[in-house]
Amino acid sequence: MSRALDVRELRLTRGTRQILRGVNLHAENGEVVALMGLSGSGKTTILRVIAGLESSDGGTVTAGKVGMVFQFHYLFEHLSAIDNLTLAPIEVLGQSVPDARSRAQALLDQLGVGHRASALPRELSGGEAQRVAIARALAVDPPLLLLDEPTASLDPARRNDLGDALRTLARSGRALVMTSHDDEFVRDFATRVVVLADGEVVEEGDPQAILTSPSHPATRELLQVERTKPRPAPPVYNR
Amino acid sequence: MRRVARVLLATCVAAWATLSVAQAQVLRWGGDAEGGAPFVEADPQNPARLVGFDVEIAQLIAGKLGRTPQFLQVQFASLDQSARRGDFDVGLSGIEDIPARRQSLAASVPYYEFREVLTVRERDRAVYRTLADLKGRRVATLGGTMAYDLLLEAEKSHGITAVSYDDDVHPYSDLALGRVDGVVLDNVLADRAMRRNTGLVTHPDALAVGSYIVITAPENTALRDQVDRILTDAMRDGTLERIFRKWNVWNDDQPRLYARVTSAGVSEPTPPMAPASSAALTWRYVPSLFRAAGITLVLSCAAMALAVALGVAIAIGRVYGDPVTRTLLTVYVEVMRGTPVLLQLFVIYYGLASVIRLPAFLAALLGLGLNYAAYESEIYRSALLAVPRGQLEAARILGFTRMQALRLIRAPQAFRLALAPMTNDFVALLKDSSLVSMLTVVELTKQTQIFATNLGSWVIPGILCAVLYLLMSLPLGYLARRLEERWRMPGV
Repeated sequence: MSRALDVRELRLTRGTRQILRGVNLHAENGEVVALMGLSGSGKTTILRVIAGLESSDGGTVTAGKVGMVFQFHYLFEHLSAIDNLTLAPIEVLGQSVPDARSRAQALLDQLGVGHRASALPRELSGGEAQRVAIARALAVDPPLLLLDEPTASLDPARRNDLGDALRTLARSGRALVMTSHDDEFVRDFATRVVVLADGEVVEEGDPQAILTSPSHPATRELLQVERTKPRPAPPVYNR
Repeated sequence: MRRVARVLLATCVAAWATLSVAQAQVLRWGGDAEGGAPFVEADPQNPARLVGFDVEIAQLIAGKLGRTPQFLQVQFASLDQSARRGDFDVGLSGIEDIPARRQSLAASVPYYEFREVLTVRERDRAVYRTLADLKGRRVATLGGTMAYDLLLEAEKSHGITAVSYDDDVHPYSDLALGRVDGVVLDNVLADRAMRRNTGLVTHPDALAVGSYIVITAPENTALRDQVDRILTDAMRDGTLERIFRKWNVWNDDQPRLYARVTSAGVSEPTPPMAPASSAALTWRYVPSLFRAAGITLVLSCAAMALAVALGVAIAIGRVYGDPVTRTLLTVYVEVMRGTPVLLQLFVIYYGLASVIRLPAFLAALLGLGLNYAAYESEIYRSALLAVPRGQLEAARILGFTRMQALRLIRAPQAFRLALAPMTNDFVALLKDSSLVSMLTVVELTKQTQIFATNLGSWVIPGILCAVLYLLMSLPLGYLARRLEERWRMPGV
């Protein structure tokens, strides 16, 4: 296994608030790393810094090309599913249109949404939109894929499909880093879990072990909160 | 209690009676004091006071009727309609004796005879002596007058281009500036203009002869007859001569007119031109209405194209620019939105004339385009901001540059959002384009106004004008709705 991501001593302050206080994080090719933590623990911020959307105040991020799947997908609303995938390969990477289209169709097929290639984003269900968003992120072939709360808009059956898809992607040699609130999903599909509290990594290791018998109080609190709160309805995105 | 009521009632009756008497003692007379010397003008020494020969004739009429004159300011082009509505008792303001006016109003005997004369620049004196010499040239006058009809005829017979102004000052100043090559107007106005502008010369030959009259509401023939008597008396006893001599407009034409009028004794004027029936007049104006609608459409499309191009640039500058650019563009938008477009048109056409002499159509296009660009830019700016930031972040991670993201992702979506308000603005622009008649561009509304003045009625011209505007705006609305349906955005 080779290292796709290496984050060292990442620090970020916004005003007087310390959001990240020296986070260390790495991901190897073939891994599915889950970032867990209460709201405000800095999970999403770490992904945004890795993706280059925010700058840090200290520390280093070593990564190659990065792909990212947002919680709300953010597909380009004026383009069909397949055009969402081909835009960057054609315009940024300079691929020919037929090449880009056949690759895009293969990616959509692989994620089980090949039949929705010509649909506009507003015509897709939440699960379909998410798969198209994953396919779009993969279209420029990044070795590292970041996913922000990928299960947030999915029902339980769809969650398992997603988990299988993510595992397949990891097995093909990519590194995946996702944030999640969903400890069952993390236990079933992640290869490693990293627990954050107040901008610091407090615990990390095998999901099965950590989520079954947490050693840090923050992890226990997290699991407590997750188990007692009723599962929220998936957010309404596509009206 | 009852006594109080009685006293109150008596007071009311007394007040009403006083008011009615006051009403009866006043002679309301209408005229246009805007640049109206020597007819009607605010006294330069005391702007609250009116001076001019028409003011003195109104005073004469009121005096003989035992009433107090009270002036009502009415725009020159609206004097006929205003008289018909009964806004004033008598109207005087260099009102011409034309058949349409005699048909639709009660008109007095003519009290002054004028000549339509051609004024040109001093250096063109030998070249442009008649309208025929001005073939292919622009000749200006006041809209809705005999002189304008004369020029419309000359468009056909001599191939000149008639240019209509809303006042009698700017035709001459534009002649001096070289925007037009000749002006045809009453000798009274020409004489005055010659004193104001140097380097102009008026040919003495009359292109046509006309006369001024007093107008009253069509049913008010009794008052008209009284006015006729007062005017003919004033012709006989030299009162009119004294007034006109005082204003330096007395000449040999007047005694001849007075001899004719006093011997006839009734208001049977000599029509200055062959009378035309209203059907014939309508028919004559229809092609010009279509031409004017064409000008409205071309001007609106060109101005909108400019507004869209500039609006896009401003919006992008305000969203992507550095703080200095953003501040400058914000100032531009606020200034253009916060001041009347009419003022902007005047500044561009007349205000900048000493720096750059823009042709009227170009000035109109620029004025409307620059003004609407401010509104368009606000539409585009908010449309750009309405595209979710997340999409731009996704684009950034995928490797798009900022300009690529703008061109391929943000702008196409913003355009769909902007389409409905843009259509709205275009329809508004189509109608606002009527303001450019102030810069002598005869577009649809102006042509309708000229038509209505000469026809003496707004009914047919008004309906034709409305139909033409609708024919232009309805297809646009339809097209925009079709596009919107096709490009419907979520949440819109």
